[in-house]
Amino acid sequence: MTETAPPSTAARLAAAAAARRAHPEPARVEYEGLVTRAVAFTLDAALINVVAVGVGAAIGLSLSVLKVPGDVETALFALGGVSYLLWSVGYFVTFWSTTGQTPGNRLLGIRVRRDDRDEVPRPARALLRLLALTVAAIPLLAGFLPILFDDRRRGVHDMLAGTVVVNAPKYPPG
Amino acid sequence: MNAPLQIRDAQDRPTAGRTTLGTLVGLGGAVAGFALRPVIAGIELGLGLERELRRGLTRRTEAALLAGLDALLLSPVAGEAVDRVLASELTRRTVSGALAGPLVEATARDLVTFEVIERAADELLASETVDGVLDRAQAADVPRRVADRLLADGVLDQVVARVLEGPELERVVESALDSAAMERLVVRVIESRLLNEAVERLLQTDELWLMVDEIARSPSVSAAITRQSAGFVDEVADGVRARSRKADDLIESRIRRAFRRGQRERPGGEGAGT
Repeated sequence: MTETAPPSTAARLAAAAAARRAHPEPARVEYEGLVTRAVAFTLDAALINVVAVGVGAAIGLSLSVLKVPGDVETALFALGGVSYLLWSVGYFVTFWSTTGQTPGNRLLGIRVRRDDRDEVPRPARALLRLLALTVAAIPLLAGFLPILFDDRRRGVHDMLAGTVVVNAPKYPPG
Repeated sequence: MNAPLQIRDAQDRPTAGRTTLGTLVGLGGAVAGFALRPVIAGIELGLGLERELRRGLTRRTEAALLAGLDALLLSPVAGEAVDRVLASELTRRTVSGALAGPLVEATARDLVTFEVIERAADELLASETVDGVLDRAQAADVPRRVADRLLADGVLDQVVARVLEGPELERVVESALDSAAMERLVVRVIESRLLNEAVERLLQTDELWLMVDEIARSPSVSAAITRQSAGFVDEVADGVRARSRKADDLIESRIRRAFRRGQRERPGGEGAGT
């Protein structure tokens, strides 16, 4: 009777990975709370402003050595403001509607998805969510309080846009 | 007048007798010495011949021995004899038995303890014996044949495998490392100028820095640095994530308790919250 050698560690890991691929465990959904989302949003705001300040500083330094008329300078400031607005809006809408994760969300392991199915919101829905988020912030951030009470941890902007914020496993099963 | 003469004759008579006897003995000795001179010369000649004969015989014997040794080493018989000895089962058994027994360990320990190797090396290097032996062995092409045979028959492989697998090598290394002689040797090497100069020359070579550049540019090193950096970022992010989630749960539970609301329903799996 021949004894079979015990499988090596690499073989056991490969077998476990194959088993996971064949029978993936369902992902456990966790709705993310106010603090986690606030930290992610802070990171995004920092990133947006670092880029904006860098670009603005570069343009300002360039203009400082040029003789630009006052009207043109005013127009450039207005253009800068519009660019900043577009950059901020584009940042959120693009990330939410493509991967569901901004860089801040990715770092915190959370993502935005539709509340009725596991899909990222379309650009229009993402834009609506951003506008609603701005509106929710106006009454002294009162629009975010429902996150503390709602069973699915939704804020006013989530309710209006039909989205939820859930955990995003670092290594998705399968 | 006659009386004194008589007295003198009586006194001179024994003296004259002794003188005559001595003269006769001296004469006899001289005659005997003269007569034995050829005998003595013959004996001396014989002894000289014996010495010369012995010297000549010794020289011729040594020359004959060396000539015989040369002939033996140069003859194909020597190679065949070496081959047969090395290929024999007796050699294998002897080597295995010697390595397996306590002899190796005891010998190694004593060699280290009594500094036998150092003393033997000093003696050998001081004499010309080593040069002579090596010259003759090299002239007869013995080293190459021995090496060829050892490699071809796998004897060397067996010996190396046995030494590496057995516990003797470990014990020998341990005893050598524990010895004061080894410690002194290591200290001497570290403190020697040779090591410093070797390191300095190594650092001055372009090849070393080329090798360092190649290693630094290698994909495996880059991947390792990237993994380490990513691992650090992940670690920080994991920490922030865990703390923020704990803060979420804490704040939420307190607010719900304050407003007398039940605990939030936690979803159990995929789709539970949809």
